[in-house]
Amino acid sequence: MPDPTITLEDVSVELGGHLILEHLNASIESGCLTAIMGPNGAGKTTLLHAILGLIPYQGRIYFGKNRNEKRPRIGYVPQRLDLDRGSPITVRDFLTSVLTNRPLWLGISKDADDRSQTILDRIGVRSIFHSPMGKISGGETQRVLLAQALLGRPEILLLDEPAAAVDITGEALFCDILEEVQNELGITTLLVSHDLSVVTTHARNVICLNKSIICSGTVAEMLTPDNLKRVFSPHVDIFSHQHNQPPARGKDPHGLSG
Amino acid sequence: MDYLVDLLAVILPFDWLEPTFMRRALVGLVLIAPACATMGVQVVSFRMAFFSDAISHSAFTGVALGLILSVDPRFSMIGFGVLVGCGVLFFARKSELSTDTVIGVFFAAVVALGIVIVSARRGLGRYFEGVLFGDILAINRMDLWIILGLFLTVAFFQWIGFNRMLLLALNPPLAHSRGIRAMPWEITYGILLALLVMVTLRAVGLLLVTALLVVPAATARNLARSARGLFWWASLIAAISAVLGLYLSYAWGSATGATVILVAVALFVGSFGYRLFKNR
Repeated sequence: MPDPTITLEDVSVELGGHLILEHLNASIESGCLTAIMGPNGAGKTTLLHAILGLIPYQGRIYFGKNRNEKRPRIGYVPQRLDLDRGSPITVRDFLTSVLTNRPLWLGISKDADDRSQTILDRIGVRSIFHSPMGKISGGETQRVLLAQALLGRPEILLLDEPAAAVDITGEALFCDILEEVQNELGITTLLVSHDLSVVTTHARNVICLNKSIICSGTVAEMLTPDNLKRVFSPHVDIFSHQHNQPPARGKDPHGLSG
Repeated sequence: MDYLVDLLAVILPFDWLEPTFMRRALVGLVLIAPACATMGVQVVSFRMAFFSDAISHSAFTGVALGLILSVDPRFSMIGFGVLVGCGVLFFARKSELSTDTVIGVFFAAVVALGIVIVSARRGLGRYFEGVLFGDILAINRMDLWIILGLFLTVAFFQWIGFNRMLLLALNPPLAHSRGIRAMPWEITYGILLALLVMVTLRAVGLLLVTALLVVPAATARNLARSARGLFWWASLIAAISAVLGLYLSYAWGSATGATVILVAVALFVGSFGYRLFKNR
C-alpha cells in the first residue's frame, strides 16, 4: 500500500458510558477514495468525528507518512444542514462565510465572491449562487456542501453519507462529480455510505465497520458475500444480474437485499 | 453621555423630547433595541427563546437576593442572570438531557426561589413592578453608560462572531472542520445574551424582553434576502419600533416597553403580509 494519509492506531471511542468504537487499527491510503460501510449504529459517523478531532478518543490518529498527530486541512461534508426553508441565507452567504471572517453584514469582498463562484462553476451549479439555501434541491445542497469543503483546499475530505437524502439520479451525479474532483486534485477521501453500488463504482478501498473493523482492503477483495454477511447480518446476500435488464422480481436492484 | 442627551434637544426639537428623561429613554432604546435584534438573529437560529425567558425570569430572584444581601439590586439581578445562564450552559453540556429540559428545570427553580424569598420577606413585593413591566423612563446616567458598554460589546461580538455563529447554527461538525470550536463561542454567546436580557429588562420588563429579541429578528426573516439583509433589517425594525413606540407611549400615556413591543409586532404582521403577497 502507498503511504497512508490517515493511520488509526488502537482507536476506541466511548460516549456517555457506551463503547461506540473498539480498538480500530487501519491505514487509509493517500490520494484515493476509501469507503466506510456498516449498518446503522456501527460508529461510521463517530469515526469521522474522531478524525475531525470533534470528540475525545483513546489511541492515536496519525496524519501523513511522517505520522504527524497535527491535523492537516480537512474538508467535511455533512448529511444535511440545520436550516429551515424560510431562511434567507443564500448559497453565496454560506460559501463566503467559510472563506472569510469579515462579517457578512459588512458585505462580501470581490475575492470571496469570485472564489465561491469559481468553485460552484467547477461542480456545475453556478446558477444557484444567489438562491436561498432553504430553497435549493437536496442534490444541489450536497453539491454546495462539497463546494464548501473544497474551498478550504483540503488535504483530506470526509463525507458523511452525503447522498443519503438524494434520489438515485442525484446520488449518481454527486458521486460522479466527487470522483472527478477527487481524481483531479488527488485528495484523500473518506466516504461513509450504505450504498453498495456507490462503493463498488467509486471507491478503491473499503473499511467494513461494526464497532470494530470487520475487514479492510480493496473493494474487489473485501466486498464478498461472506464479508457482507459478517458486517450487516446473515440475511444479506449478493444477487448478480445483467445491467440494463430489470432485476428478478423481489430482488434488490442494487444486489443488496436483507 | 449627558452631552449626547443635551444635543438631542437641539437636533430633535420636538415637544415630546423636551423632558430629559424622554431623551435619555430615546438614547437607551435606540442602543439596546438593535443590540437585542442582532443577538435575536442567533436566538432564532439556535432556537434559544426559551433560554432568554429563563434568564429574564431569574430577575425576581436576583433582585430579591440583592435586597437581602444589601447589594444594588440592579447589579445583583445582572449577576444572578449571568450565573443562571452559565448554569444552563454547563448542565446542558454535561447532562444527557435536552437543552430545553435543562432550561425548564432552571426556569422552575429560579421562579420558585424568587416567589419563596418574596413571600417570606414581606415588603419586597413593591420592588417587583419595575422588574415585571420595566421602566425605560427611569433610567439614569449610569444606566446609559451600562447600555452603551453593552451595545459596543454586542457590536464587537457580531463583528468577530457573526459568520462563525452562522456556521455553528448550520452544522457544528462542519464549523469544527473550519477551525471553529463550539464551546467557547456558545459560552460567550450565552453569557452575553444573559447580560443583554438583564439590562434590557429595565426597558421592557421581564414579560416582554424575549419579544425584543425575537420579534425584530422574525420580521427581518420575512423581509431579508440574504444574511446581510437579515442583520440590517432586524436592526432597523428594532430602532423604528423603539422610536415610534416611545413616541406613541408619550402620546397615549401608555407603558413604554409594551408600546415598543406592540409596534414591533405590528411591523411583523406587516412583513408577514408582504411575504404572503410576494409568494402568491
